Formats: sequence, structure tokens, C-alpha cells
Amino acid sequence: MGTPSFPAKRLPVAALLPLKRLRAQLAPTVADGLLSLGLLALIAWAAVQLGGWAIGRADWAVLQLNSMLLLVGRYPLAEQWRLWLLGALLAAQAGLSWGLLRAWPRADRREQGQLWPRHDRIAAVLITLLALLLPAALGLAGALQGRWWLLAAVLLALRWAAGRWGPGLHRRTLKLLGLLWPLLYLLGFWLIGGGLGLAAVAPGEWGGLLLTLVMASFAMALSFPLGVLLALGRRSNLPLLRWGSVAYIEFIRGAPLITLLFIGQNILGFLLPASISPDRVWRAAWVLTLFAAAYLAEAVRSGLAAVPRGQLEAARSLGLNQAQALVTVVIPQALRVALPTMVGQFIALVQDTTLLSLIGLLDLLGMARGIMANPEFLGHSSELYLVLAVLYWSCCAALGLGSRALERRLDPRSLAGRP
Amino acid sequence: MIRAEGVEKWYPNGFHALRGASLTVNRGEVVVIMGPSGSGKSTFIRTFNALEDFQKGSITVDGLALSNDVRQIDAIRREVGMVFQQFNLFPHLSVLENLTLAPVLVRKRPRAEVELQAMALLERVGIAEQAEKFPGQLSGGQQQRVAIARALCMEPRILLFDEPTSSLDPEMVREVLDVIQALAAEAITMVVVTHEVRFARQVAHRVVLMDEGVVVEQADPESFFTAPRHERTQRFLEQIL
Repeated sequence: MGTPSFPAKRLPVAALLPLKRLRAQLAPTVADGLLSLGLLALIAWAAVQLGGWAIGRADWAVLQLNSMLLLVGRYPLAEQWRLWLLGALLAAQAGLSWGLLRAWPRADRREQGQLWPRHDRIAAVLITLLALLLPAALGLAGALQGRWWLLAAVLLALRWAAGRWGPGLHRRTLKLLGLLWPLLYLLGFWLIGGGLGLAAVAPGEWGGLLLTLVMASFAMALSFPLGVLLALGRRSNLPLLRWGSVAYIEFIRGAPLITLLFIGQNILGFLLPASISPDRVWRAAWVLTLFAAAYLAEAVRSGLAAVPRGQLEAARSLGLNQAQALVTVVIPQALRVALPTMVGQFIALVQDTTLLSLIGLLDLLGMARGIMANPEFLGHSSELYLVLAVLYWSCCAALGLGSRALERRLDPRSLAGRP
Repeated sequence: MIRAEGVEKWYPNGFHALRGASLTVNRGEVVVIMGPSGSGKSTFIRTFNALEDFQKGSITVDGLALSNDVRQIDAIRREVGMVFQQFNLFPHLSVLENLTLAPVLVRKRPRAEVELQAMALLERVGIAEQAEKFPGQLSGGQQQRVAIARALCMEPRILLFDEPTSSLDPEMVREVLDVIQALAAEAITMVVVTHEVRFARQVAHRVVLMDEGVVVEQADPESFFTAPRHERTQRFLEQIL
């Protein structure tokens, strides 16, 4: 290991020519150079091995035949157009938000947002390549390929349009656009579950990535307000509320999720009459929600503790009542502090959904295990597991990216006690 | 305007912070409270808007008796502005939003009208051009002037200052004191806890010395600083002058 050298004496790396810059970054000293070479060799070896396997020995037919099964499980074929529509709406909304986020002036930077900063260009090219190459490489039917292209095109088109015209929008319009996410969320449940004129699709028929995302997003959306309330309860002056919150948080945090899921599936079924007992899928969703809320509460509590007492005093001395002071002054600052921890909890939540396969739900992992058990695809678990890893990683990476973008936009200097 | 009688306070750890403090502040009067640290002067003025509770005695503010009734307390706080030693601006809101938050939320006034008033106030304390900035981007003196404007934006009948210049760099003390002095000229009732002798001499109608949780002496500035009657006051003045 090279000594942690301070680059003050050397030229700033950015000022060097590309080749020299590479040398300065990878091999500032002989020891660093050897270490870099060793690591490069290791990475190259791993890439060759993986690539050789992926092109040579791996049999991707298992994906080709099961792609819809992995994505949506046994969702009725005749109703799958609803999911494609939802996919297109989500792509549109994602593109819109991405573009608006970029175009919005940032508190931590002086200049206005650029239309296509470098990272966005890379991301756009990657999305295009993925949409063009992956379905084709998997040998999907022409109609399916076309749908994937359409999704990518919608995403990028709205990204461009929002980046182009977003800055000219009125502030109030932008706030209304923020309301599109919860609206789309409710619309999504309608499209997925049916009812109100659409044919109903029972939760038992949802599966694969669809079920994973529904469960994770449901738990996130509801555990967030619950967690904030629990954190406030834990700091309350009312002893009953305080001890109740503490007992709840500590009980949930002391029990493994899998036992809670079993409790939810079995005991709730006995306790409640069948007529009002929720469906197995919803029971699991509520257990996930209540589980995540306890962990979120602790994250929010650390954020609340970081807000100086003077903030509440100043708000109260201006005549705001306790609720107004909490909502407008204390909680926004607390959430800013707690954001990285909360996103960590959300990422853990996405991965916790894999436990649903152990109680017999066909989430992404459960679906994949079902496919592996099929004698037709015996011996192809490596391919499936690799794809699962990539899918889960994509979900978590998206969460991480989103949170970092949000963190940067909430001015770091705006933290109390840090002028 | 404020009538405090025999106020006694114990902190939860048992410390007897106020031991029967009494003070009357008349309408339009500027009262400066001085005293050694730990004498209870900050605690005392914080009881005036119920930021601290007390166990014995009585306090009446603008005709309303302080009790445990939350509505009563909120009503009093609307009429009593406070400026803190640590400024306590809301760091996640812009300067302008710091001023408009309470009038819009508490007094339910239209935002456009409050913004006009807020800009006029910022003009008056000399930082109108910083209205869109965030508190973290301002100097200590500027922050404290924003805090004063924020309190004024609620149009309070009484202003409390809790050591408003104690955490400022020396070169910024003057700009804040000048703003307070200008306010005093407008006949707003003010209670100021401070160590600034020159300010007390120029601005106060009455100077009060507190020690060990009681009001020891009160007099007009001239006699307070030149002819203190109480031996406690003499010792205190010897230390700070």
C-alpha cells in the first residue's frame, strides 16, 4: 500500500494529458503501480471468465422462455396490456422527473442545471443500448422487443422535453407535477388489481418482479409516515405514547422478519374470520410495512435528535403550535439528516422481499426457484441467479442514485448548527 | 404590559433558578436586565413567553395570565416576539420565508401581503438584498438582524431579547445594537438581557440587576451606573466597568 500521499506537490490530475493522467491516477508510486496492475489483472481475469461462460456455456433459453414469468408471474395473458401501459406511464413519469431534476437550479451549485450533463449522456446511451440489444440478445419475439423499445423511447423523449421546457414552468405547476407520483401509484394499483370496470386480477396471480416491486413500494410508501409518527411518539411527553412506541419499535427490531411473516400468515388467519381476513399477499405486505416502520422510526429519531432545541423554541415563540412547528420546522430538517439512513433501510427492504418466497409467495426469487424446479430447465440456476442479482442490484442502485441526487439538492449548508 | 410576581422555578435536576423574581414592565418601556452569568436572567425572560415553566408566583402578559392552558400560551406567544442568543433562524428556509412563515401560518394573512411587509422590514434592518439567500450564507450580525425582522413580522406588542449580541464577533455587535436602538425609539415594549453597558445607558428606560434568581435592584440608567444603592450592584459594576 502506498503511503497516503497528499497530491499538493503534484500537478492537479485534471491538468495532465489522458495517458499521463491515467498514470498519475493508477501508479503515482511503484508500489501503487504494482497494486493497480495486480487489481487490473484480477478484474480482466474475472471478466474473461464471466464473458466466456455467458457466451459459451450459459444457455439463455431459460430466460428467453421465462422472461414474462420472471417479470409478472402468472398474471393473466389477456390482461398483460395493463402492465405494459403502466410500464409506459412509469417510464414517462421517470423521464419527466429526471428532466425536471436536471433543469432545476441547484442550491449547492452556482450555475443553472445543464440540459445533458456528462452522466446523463452516459445514462441515455446505456438505456438505448440496453433497450436495443438486450431483448434481441435474449431472442424475444418481435412484438415484445418493440414494446421495450417504446418504453425506452418514451423515457428519453420525456427526459429531453422536461429538461428543455421544465425551467420555464411556473413554480405552482411544478408542485402539481410532484403530485403525479402518488396519483400514478394509485392508478398503478388499479391497473394491476383491476376493479372499477377492469377485470379483477387477484393478488395471488401477481408474481415475479411485479410482486416484488408492489410489495417493496407499498411497504416504503406506508412505513414512511408510520416511522415518522413512531419516532415522534418515542420523543413525546406523554408517557403512554412514549412507552407504546418504544415497546413497538424494540419488539419489532428484536424479532427476525421471517418469524413475523409466519406470524402474519398463520396467526392472523386464525384470529380473524375468513371474511375480513386480508389476502395472503396483503397480509405479507402489511407485515413488511410494520417491520420497516420500526427501523425507519429509529432513523428518523436520529434525525430529530440532530435538530437543535432552539429551532423548536424559535418556532413556538413565533406563535406556531406544536404540530405546525414540527411539520414546518423540525421534521424537514430531521428528514434531511436521516435521508441516507432511511434510503439504506429502503434498500434493505427491497432485499427483504426475497423472504416472501419462503412463505410461498411467488416474488422474483420465488418465481426463479419455481423455474429452477422445472425439470426442463434443470442445471440452469446460474443464469437465473445472475439475472436476479442484476435485477435486485438495479432496483437498489436506482434508490441509491435517487437519494444522492436528492441529498445534493437539499442544500448541505441548510443544516442547523452548521453555518 | 408584563407583571411578574414572586416567580420561582426549579429545573428538573433540582436547581433553584428563580427564587421569587418580580418585575413590572410598562407599555412602551425599554427594560435592560443585567447580572452575572447563572443569575437567572435568561430563565426569567424565557418564562414571559412560556418557553420555561415555573412552579410558584404569577406572570401576566398583556392582560393574560400565564397558565398551563395551551391556547392561552399560544395567544401570548403571538403577541410576544423573541430574539435568541443563537439567532435560531430556520436554516432550511430562505431569509424571506423565515419572515413570512409565522404570519401566513398563524395569523392566516395572505402571502403576497406578508411578503411586502417582510421586504419592508428587511429593508429597515438593512438586508433586503439578501432576501432570497439562506441563513447559512449570512454573517452572524446579518443573521441576528434577520431574526429581529422575523420577530417584528408578527407585529408583536412586546419584544424579548435574550443576550442578542453575546455570540457575535465584536465588529458585528454595533450593527445589531443599532437596529434594536432604532426600535426602542418607536415605543415598542422591550425587555433586553445584555452585557452591553453603553447600550443600556443610551437606550434603557430602566436597568435591572438580577442575582441568584431575584431582582436585586432596578433604577434609571443614570443612577444605576453612577449611584447604585445595593452592595451587590456595586460589586457587579466594578467587575464589568
